[in-house]
Amino acid sequence: MSEKKGLARAAEIYAKSEQYARELKNQGKKIAGYYCCYVPLEMLAAVDYVPVRILGDMNENITSADTYLPTVMCFFYRSCLDLAMKGKYDYLDAFFGAHSCDGAERVSYVWRSYLKYACNFNIDIPHTVHPPAIEYFKNQLEAMKETIEEKTGQKISDERLAAAITLYNKQRGLVRELYALRKADPPPISGTEVLQVLVAIMYMPPEEGNALLAEILEEVKNRPVTAQKKPRLLITGCLIDNISFTKLIEDSGFNVVMDDTAIGSRSFGHDVAVTGDPLGSLAERYLDKIVCPRTFRETGKNRAEDLENRFGYLRKFVEDWKADGVYLNIIRNCDPHGYEIPELKYYFEEMVNVPVLAIEQDYSTASLEPLRTRFQAFAENIE
Amino acid sequence: MEEKKAKKRTSAKTLQTAREAGYFGKKMLANTRTAVEEGRPVAWSMVDWWLGVPICKAMGVEMVFPENWSAFCAASRTAEPNLEYSEMDGFPNTLCGYARNTLGYARKLKDNNYVIPPDSPGGGLPKPNFLLGCGAVCDARYKWFQAMGRYMDVPVWMLEFPQVGYKEYYLPGNKEKTIKFLVDELKAFVAFLENLLNKKLDMNKLSELVQIMFQTNKIAHEVDLLRKAVPSPMVSQDFWAVMTAHFYLADDLEAQAFYQRVYDEVKHRVDNKIGAIPNEKYRMLFAELPPWHTLGFFDEMAEKHGIAFVFESWNYHVPSPLTAEERHGISDPLELLARFSYHKFHEMAPVAREHDIDPIIFVAPYLNYVKEYRGDGLMGHPLLSCRPATYTLMHVRNLLMEKFKVPSVIVEGDIIDLRVFNEEEAYTKMDAFIETMDYHRELRKKAGLDW
Ligand code: SF4
Ligand code: SF4
Repeated sequence: MSEKKGLARAAEIYAKSEQYARELKNQGKKIAGYYCCYVPLEMLAAVDYVPVRILGDMNENITSADTYLPTVMCFFYRSCLDLAMKGKYDYLDAFFGAHSCDGAERVSYVWRSYLKYACNFNIDIPHTVHPPAIEYFKNQLEAMKETIEEKTGQKISDERLAAAITLYNKQRGLVRELYALRKADPPPISGTEVLQVLVAIMYMPPEEGNALLAEILEEVKNRPVTAQKKPRLLITGCLIDNISFTKLIEDSGFNVVMDDTAIGSRSFGHDVAVTGDPLGSLAERYLDKIVCPRTFRETGKNRAEDLENRFGYLRKFVEDWKADGVYLNIIRNCDPHGYEIPELKYYFEEMVNVPVLAIEQDYSTASLEPLRTRFQAFAENIE
Repeated sequence: MEEKKAKKRTSAKTLQTAREAGYFGKKMLANTRTAVEEGRPVAWSMVDWWLGVPICKAMGVEMVFPENWSAFCAASRTAEPNLEYSEMDGFPNTLCGYARNTLGYARKLKDNNYVIPPDSPGGGLPKPNFLLGCGAVCDARYKWFQAMGRYMDVPVWMLEFPQVGYKEYYLPGNKEKTIKFLVDELKAFVAFLENLLNKKLDMNKLSELVQIMFQTNKIAHEVDLLRKAVPSPMVSQDFWAVMTAHFYLADDLEAQAFYQRVYDEVKHRVDNKIGAIPNEKYRMLFAELPPWHTLGFFDEMAEKHGIAFVFESWNYHVPSPLTAEERHGISDPLELLARFSYHKFHEMAPVAREHDIDPIIFVAPYLNYVKEYRGDGLMGHPLLSCRPATYTLMHVRNLLMEKFKVPSVIVEGDIIDLRVFNEEEAYTKMDAFIETMDYHRELRKKAGLDW
C-alpha cells in the first residue's frame, strides 16, 4: 500500500482493508478476527496477534451464507459469514466469537463449525452487570487467556497485559480526543471521515493505529474548516460500517457529530482501569462500561427510572455535542435495538425534546437511496 | 368442478390425554386472575427452563407465561388485533410474534385502566406485580419485558442463563464456576423478591417444589424415551398439547398426575405396538416452533403420506434427570435448580464434541435425535418472527445430511403470523419430499447406517 499520511491513509486502509490485512500477514504477522466490541483486544495484542474486527460488506450480494443461515436474521452477521465462506477472511490465524447478541452468538458457532482455527474461543457475555455477572465474565476471560496461552505457546503475563491495556487506553483516549473536536460547530471532521479512521485502526496493529491517530489529530486541528453549519446529528443503534451510508446522511443536510454504535463510541468510550487485577479491570470495562441495549440495566422502581438507566448516557451525548436530532439506525431483524424504538423515541421526543428518526434498513448499499428523502425531510424539519 | 377440501386448522391429536391437556393453560390463567382478586402477587414470566419460576411459586406468586398465552392466541387466531396495536406503537413487525401479541395486549390493558378487556382470549392476563425475564436462548426474552415498561410500570428481573460452546464447556473448572454464577444470581433474585414482596423465602417449601418438578420432568423424560418405539406411539401434535404440563407447571401435582397418565397411555401403545397414526411410513423430526395456527397440517401429512412426526422442538423438551453423582451432597434447592437448568442447555455437549460442531443448543440435540428416533427426514420451520429458533436450522439441515444422509425440507412460516405461512406451497414441498426421503433411505442403507 502507498505511503499516504493521516486521513488519506485512513481512507485508503478503510477502502482496502482486506488487502491491508493480507499484507500484514505476508509480513509474518498473526491475525486474529473478532466479533463486536466485547472481545478484549488487550488479550490478543498481548500475544502479538493483530486484532481485526470482522465486518460485513454492504456492497456484496449475500449468496454463500444462504446455505448456512436463514434469511430472517440480522443482515450484518449474514454478510460477515457470507464473506468468510467466500474466503475473504481466510487469512485469519485465530477467531474470537462473542455472545453480544443472539445473532452474533449463533453465527460465531456456525462459523467455527465450518472454519477451523488453531486458536479460537467463544466468549459468553452475561446480560446483566450484577457483581456475579462481572465475576463470571472475568472467569470467561481467564479461560480465554488460558486457551490463547495453550494454543500459541506464549504466556500472557500481567506485565504484558498491562502493557496492552496501556496501549489500548492510549488508542481510546486518542479517539475520544478526535470525537471532542467534533463538538465545534461546524465540526472540523465529518462523520464519514471518522468512520474511515475507526475502521482503519480496527485493522492496524495498535501501535501503528495510535501513530496514525496522532497524525490525524494534528491534521484535523490544523486544517481549515470547510464544512457548513448544518443540523447536528447523533447516530445511535446498530453499527454503520460503510461510508456510503454516512455520506448519504451528510449529503442530506446533516453534520454527523456523535455516535453511539459498536464501531464508534461504544468501542472507544471508556478506558480499562490500571489495577493489580488486569482481568478484573477488563471484565469491568467490557461488560459494565460499554452501554449497549444487549446488556440489561436494572429497571428501577418505575418507568422513568428505567428510561434514565437506559438512555441517560445518550442524553449526555446530545447535550455535550449539541445534537439537534437523533438517528436510530436499525438493521432489519435486530432484536436488541428493535425493542428500543418506541421508548427511545419517547425519551428523546417527550422528555429531552430532541426529534428522532428511526429507520429499519437492509444493510445493503443497493437499498440506501430511497432513504435519502427521509433524511432530507428530517433535516428540513429541524432547520 | 372439483371441490377443494378445506384445510384443517387445529390438530385432532391422537392421545386421549393430549385432548384433555388444554385444561392446564386455562388453569394458569384462571389462577392468576383469582390471585389478583384475593390480593396475592402475580408475575408474568418468560420460559426460563425451570430456573426462577419455582422460586416465585415458593414465595406465593402466581405465574403466567405470555409465550404460552400467545401460542393460545395464535391457535385461536385472536392475535391479529394485538399485533396491530404493537405496530401502531412503533414496534417493528419483525420482532417476536409472541412479544408483539402481548405488547399490544398490554397497551389495551393500560388503556382499560388495567381491567382485563372482556374479549381477551382465554380470559386474559391480569396486570402483574413484576416481570421475570431470562437471558437464555433469545434476546426477546429480556428486551420484550423491558419494552413492556411503557405499559406496565413494574420492575423487571432478568435471570442470567449462561450458554457456552462445547469447547469452553470442557475447559477445566468452567462448569463448576458457571454453576456458582447461576447460584449467586438466584440468590440475588431471591433478595429482589424478598424485598419486593416483603417476606422471606421458605427454603423447605422451595425444596418440596423442586422435588415435584424433578419428578414431573423425570416422567416427561420417560415419555420421550418411549417415543423411540416403532411405530411411533405419540406424535408431535400430541406433544405440543401435553407439554404445557411439564414446561410451565412441572411443580404442580395435578400436572404431574396428568403426565403420569400420558406415560401410561403411551406405554400401553408401545407394549401393544399401536402406532399414533395408521400405516406409519416415514418418521420425521420437526424443528423448532410449530405453526400454532395451522396444526392440522400435521394430521394431513399423516393421512396423505403416512408421515409420523416422531420427535420435535429441542427447546420444549426436558433433559434427562440429574445423575445421583451430580446431586450428591447437594441439598440447597437453588443449586439443584441451577444444575438442572444448566444440564438442559449442556447435556448434548458430548454430541457436539463428537462431531466438532457448535452450538450445543438447538443443533447438537438433532444429531442425537435423528439416530435415536430413526428419522427419515427433518422439517425445518424458519420463523419470520422468532430468530432464535431459526438461526441454526440451515446448519442442522447441513449436518444431518453430511453426517447421516438424512434430508430436510424447509417450509417457511411463523408461530403467529398467518400472512407468511403459504399452505399450498407447504403441501407441494412435502409431496416432493417423499421421494427424497425414499432415495436417502437407500443411501443410508448402502452406507451401513441402520435406519
Ligand atoms: S445489528 Fe443487532 S442483531 Fe445485528 S449484530 Fe448488531 S446487535 Fe446483533
Ligand atoms: S424464542 Fe422465539 S418465540 Fe420465544 S420469546 Fe424468543 S423470539 Fe419469541
